Amino acid sequence: MSIKKFRRWMDEPGNSVIFTGSTMFILIVLAGIFIPFFYRFGPYDFVGDPLQSPSLEFLFGTDQLGRDVFSRTFHAVYLDLGVAFLGVAIPFAIGTVIGIILGISKNKRLVALISSIIDGINAFPLLILAAALIAFLGPGLGSVIIILSLTNWARYARIARTRAVVVSQQNYIEAAYTLGYPKRRIIRKHIAPNVSSETIAYALSDFILVILLVAGLSFLGLAATPPTAEWGAMISEGRAYIQGSPWVTLFPGAALCWAAISLAFIVEGLNRREGKI
Amino acid sequence: MTPRLEGKNISVTFGDIFRKVEAVKNVDVSLEPGQTIGIVGESGSGKSTLARVLAGIQVPTSGQVTYEGANIWQGKTSYPGQMRRKVQMVFQDPYGSLNPRMRAVHAVAEAVTFHQKVVGNDAKKIAFDLLDRMGITQKDALKLPRALSGGQRQRVSVARALSANPEVLIADEPTSAIDQSAQSQLLSLFSELIADGLSIILVSHDLGVIRYLTDRVYVMESGNFVEAGDTAQIFSNPQMEYTQKLISSIPGHITKSR
Amino acid sequence: MTNELLVDIDSVQVSVKLSRTRRLQIVDYASMQIRRGEMMGLIGESGSGKTMLCRGFIGTLERRDAYISGGKILFDGIDLAKAKSETWRAIRGKRIGYVPQSALAGPNPVLTIEAQLLETLKNDPKLDRQAARKRAMELLDIVQIRRPDIVMKQYPNQLSGGMKQRVMIACAIALQPELIVADEPTTGLDVTVQAEIMKLLKDIRSEFNTSIVLVSHDLPLINDVCDRITVMHAGATIETLPSSEIENSKHPYTIALYKSRIDLAPPRGELITIKGQPPAVGGWQEGCRFNQRCDFVTDACLVGPHPKYIQLSQDHQTACINHASISDKVGSR
Repeated sequence: MSIKKFRRWMDEPGNSVIFTGSTMFILIVLAGIFIPFFYRFGPYDFVGDPLQSPSLEFLFGTDQLGRDVFSRTFHAVYLDLGVAFLGVAIPFAIGTVIGIILGISKNKRLVALISSIIDGINAFPLLILAAALIAFLGPGLGSVIIILSLTNWARYARIARTRAVVVSQQNYIEAAYTLGYPKRRIIRKHIAPNVSSETIAYALSDFILVILLVAGLSFLGLAATPPTAEWGAMISEGRAYIQGSPWVTLFPGAALCWAAISLAFIVEGLNRREGKI
Repeated sequence: MTPRLEGKNISVTFGDIFRKVEAVKNVDVSLEPGQTIGIVGESGSGKSTLARVLAGIQVPTSGQVTYEGANIWQGKTSYPGQMRRKVQMVFQDPYGSLNPRMRAVHAVAEAVTFHQKVVGNDAKKIAFDLLDRMGITQKDALKLPRALSGGQRQRVSVARALSANPEVLIADEPTSAIDQSAQSQLLSLFSELIADGLSIILVSHDLGVIRYLTDRVYVMESGNFVEAGDTAQIFSNPQMEYTQKLISSIPGHITKSR
Repeated sequence: MTNELLVDIDSVQVSVKLSRTRRLQIVDYASMQIRRGEMMGLIGESGSGKTMLCRGFIGTLERRDAYISGGKILFDGIDLAKAKSETWRAIRGKRIGYVPQSALAGPNPVLTIEAQLLETLKNDPKLDRQAARKRAMELLDIVQIRRPDIVMKQYPNQLSGGMKQRVMIACAIALQPELIVADEPTTGLDVTVQAEIMKLLKDIRSEFNTSIVLVSHDLPLINDVCDRITVMHAGATIETLPSSEIENSKHPYTIALYKSRIDLAPPRGELITIKGQPPAVGGWQEGCRFNQRCDFVTDACLVGPHPKYIQLSQDHQTACINHASISDKVGSR
């Protein structure tokens, strides 16, 4: 793609924002992949005196136990983003499938039953629900993934169901029936793609929420716990030292913000594009 | 001669015990081989519902639809097996008639693959040819529906319907949502298809279109047929008051007062 | 109908802001004159720019990131192209009324008809609440709504398409404007309702001497109802002529539109179509934009800027440089 074409693309509403967001996100993901691989200090190594301010040796300083904050911050990427990704991907898959089934089902009783379950789950704010369920499963990142898979799917299902109902009433679906295509094919090739386009859009926003949720639960000690190198846990641990050694909380916090903001940019850019069509 | 497609005592009632809407009230319709018929009426007349019953998309509350003598309904399926391809439909709204995520050529190729038993690039080639006959260039055929105009989308829908090699095409208000010049192009196309042997059931509120394309016309109002007859007759000598009212509303008949 | 000029549109250009730096011209030559009490039809295919031009009339261009990039729109001497919001507030609704396309907009769904009308009448300082209510009933009567007392209390979803349009017309004429812009007011409505609404517009024109601009893509309708017609193609007005003179048109596009009318074609016989599509906005070619589809095209039509209006008589202008040769071919119609 030539420079000129790129410039024109950037000029369109929304695209420059998407570009910024994507670049930011790719940067942090790459950092999360390569830095742990190559860096000399590990996340759990005691590398020096505790609470040293950032220097050339320890780029982000050391925390209260003498571990390198730089290394820990970037080791946390795969945990925070990875767990959040699973916490979105699994509910997305489950929810979209259930939503589509509900949307095209003729069994009124079944649909009514499951819809009320969905509405019931959706009535609770996700954080409260997750925190409450942790009480049963015990703290841990694995628990978080399980809980999200059990509850967050309901939000996707609701979107998918409404959309599936709308889509199945469209003329092109009727045309597909008139042309004799088997029902299986119609669902797979015509209904599902048009429904999942909507749930994928929601998934992107949800990703941001879940990243913050995972970090938030860890902060509360309900998900990742010390000594795990995870942003929420790191921020929580570093709370006591904010006055004298702010870098212990600052860098994991900045990384968290960076991840969330980069994704928010992408969502905003997409919205802008959408609005201008 | 057995009519090709026939509906007898068709009634369609919507609603529940609290409120019923009788969209179609006990009508008889028949299409002879080689004939083109029109069902004309204003909004709320029930003509679209009737068209959908004939296409097998809508289950009639009572009555029977037969194709060449055979009932189109077999249990819960309409037009079972090989019968399905013989009657195809083109819908009113060009914006909802095509899968927004499928390029025009793929939508048509899918139908070709299914009905003509060819696959892959062979199907694509047939699709391109068919679209070309409808006036859609290869370049446009590769576009997504949102990049095409209303008239072009309608023609893609027609191409898709024709891939099944139908005997009967039911067109529900095909010209309503498009420009005048696109309308002319579509109607010209229909005229050619009729000359090639296709039977068309044209549902419309536009009398000009009905007059141009059809041999026989049924005038529908509030679920009933008010008048039926040869198109030329109906236009030159409408018997019923409603028919007269419709015809006199065509622009050109409004008295010019200055 | 008098000869007094109410609206004078001269070489108007409308552009749209696509992004910070890119602009797109959607109208680049529009000229039209409307007299007091005249019903002017504005006809064109979609993409011709007719709707955007109308938005220029009522000042809603800004909301769509569009603006008038050239020319003048003179309304009773005021240049609307340069009007600021105070000017618009004095004009919109009060001196220029608007009836939207029936399928798209309509009365506010959460207000009763009465509330809707009162909302519009609020702009008239001379009316107090009592008088406004009375005027609202009068308006419903003018638009030929039966039982206005009942309709006043109803919500739009209880009314048919035709009745909703009558309410919109009532709102448009409420403050007795001098000009009404009706953008495809009957598209999507049944033929019988369309005929009634057209008759209503004509009655309003006669009774109140209001000028009306009727936008449509339906030539027979416009020809039947309007005094004069202006035809637009690909962002330019290409002909203005009295509707009674339609058969003496001096522009190939108008002729093609007229000849391609379906009521002219014999059943399943030859239906004259205009070949091709109008050039898409942004892809306008040099010379006259109809040159790829024109039966009378000559080499001179392929170069230079789009032709401007040539005055043929007081009521008839055309943008075809070959108009003289068209009259020679009258016999072939």
